[in-house]
Amino acid sequence: MKKEQKVRNKVYIGSRTFDVCLIIFMALLSIVFIYPFLNVIAISLSSNRMISTGQVTFYPKEIFLEGYRLLFKEQNIFRAYGNTIVIAVATMILSLSLTSLLAYVLMVPDFVLKKGLAIFLLITMFFSGGTVPTYILIQKLGLYDTWWALILPGALSAYNVFIYRAFYKGISTEIREAARIDGAGEFRILTTIYVPLSKALYATFGLMSVVGVWNSYYEALLYIKEPDRQPIQMLLRKIVFASGTDSMNDTNLMLSNGTLNPLNVQYACVVATIGPILLVYPFVQKYFVQGMQIGAVKG
Amino acid sequence: MNQKKSFWKQLVKQRTLCLMALLPVIVIIIFKYVPMYGILIAFKNYKAAKGVWGSAWLDPVYKNYATFFKNVNCVHIIWNTLKIGVLTLLFTFPMPIIFALLLNELRGKYYKRVVQTISYIPHFISIVVVCSMLNGFGSTTGFFNDIRAFFGAARVDMNNGSTYFLPLYIGSAIWQGVGWGSIIYLSALSNVDTSLYDVANIDGANRWQKVKHIVFPSILPTTTIMLIMNVGNVLNSDYTKILLMQNSTNMSDLETIATFVYRQGIVEGKFSYSTAVNLFVSIICFALVFGANMITRRIDPENSMW
Repeated sequence: MKKEQKVRNKVYIGSRTFDVCLIIFMALLSIVFIYPFLNVIAISLSSNRMISTGQVTFYPKEIFLEGYRLLFKEQNIFRAYGNTIVIAVATMILSLSLTSLLAYVLMVPDFVLKKGLAIFLLITMFFSGGTVPTYILIQKLGLYDTWWALILPGALSAYNVFIYRAFYKGISTEIREAARIDGAGEFRILTTIYVPLSKALYATFGLMSVVGVWNSYYEALLYIKEPDRQPIQMLLRKIVFASGTDSMNDTNLMLSNGTLNPLNVQYACVVATIGPILLVYPFVQKYFVQGMQIGAVKG
Repeated sequence: MNQKKSFWKQLVKQRTLCLMALLPVIVIIIFKYVPMYGILIAFKNYKAAKGVWGSAWLDPVYKNYATFFKNVNCVHIIWNTLKIGVLTLLFTFPMPIIFALLLNELRGKYYKRVVQTISYIPHFISIVVVCSMLNGFGSTTGFFNDIRAFFGAARVDMNNGSTYFLPLYIGSAIWQGVGWGSIIYLSALSNVDTSLYDVANIDGANRWQKVKHIVFPSILPTTTIMLIMNVGNVLNSDYTKILLMQNSTNMSDLETIATFVYRQGIVEGKFSYSTAVNLFVSIICFALVFGANMITRRIDPENSMW
């Protein structure tokens, strides 16, 4: 009897130790997730002396704001913000409306072309033309160096259509039947019944498409030549990976006399790029998780 | 005959639905199907003025493949792609699962939620930002070198050459993906019938036994599907990231098939040649998914994708 008690205690203690270790481990892990952000913000605000001796860690040392001043003065960052917002909003509107239309049609149980359309969509999930044929197409259509080249090719994804359809299927068919008896057309049923009832879906996918556009650079690298039409990620890419190409200006002057560290401007631009996302993140993160879960259940 | 007639009748009756589908279908045909048709140029001597169909066939039609496989760098490029893909899969795939299991064991609902929310943040950061961070952290005064210095190692410029490419590439992929990737496993875990735990408690199962007999089986289907999908993507290295991590000191070492396609096709304008190379990769990827699924079906028919 006593022995058994002892064994049980041991298991219990082992489990408790595990709990405590786990809590500490998770706290450390959280620091690993966040530290790079803190370090980037700290360095963007610190003096060259502190950065080049490797003394900046969690918070800025010898506050130095020139990086931000130069970023806003010498780089066209507000234009890049504006461009990105226009592209993101256009992509979102187009993607939500086209996907809704197709998903609704595919949801109607007695639609004669349903099966054909589903296969037509499914094929695009497994085969794609690849970089160069798409590039040639964009050139042939005259979309090269326009924002349409960024907006149109990704506007419709088969995967999203199937998720929308699954979501619509969750809405009771009786409502639809009732509306039809009242004489409502299919398009009106979609816009006045299905869309308002799918607010969670639209919030999630609208946000996902905005963040997707905000974060992409490769399409712009392929299709946009004109510097004034570039989105924010391309500006960051230029500042970090192609620096030193500009003519003599304040930035180069300050770099050469050692008051400015290249990381000041680079990280100021990183902060400017992730800032908007980090600011809205706490308020919208539940929608993203929701979206991932909808996808997981469906997939 | 009768059935055919009713089909057309139905179609006319459902013309609003057809009209609604029209615009999306046009967009898909133009931006998905036309490029698929454009793959033909892999076997043609593509001339922009003549178009895809008008351009002459190559002689022999597989000429581009002959050129590629004769290229001295061909083996090196394929090897690089495989190495990056396999190592990335090996190290990044288990992480979200382990993280989900640990989160599942974590006591304290509020704390758990905070850790989760924090772990998702890196997922929302663009690849350009991640590479900018790596660029700074890997420099001689950067944070990675501070760690090296702390352990007494010499400071090195990690962006110079290709020695540190893989750890940086894979490490950042784990950092970005582990939290977000765990969501799918956590939602599988949340579907577990809680009465199973009660029964296990009555039977006196310890923590590890519960994990082994309840938790593992419940995430196995999800794991299998994710694995099949990831195996199919093993050759699709994240070229947008590699392109950013390449510089003049490591370019020749880090060439992968996708970056090769970009450089040959878009930068140098060899449209036919790079399309041919791209097609080669797509076919292998497709075969890989198919193969992975077939193996799973043989071992455990319930968990295969189709």
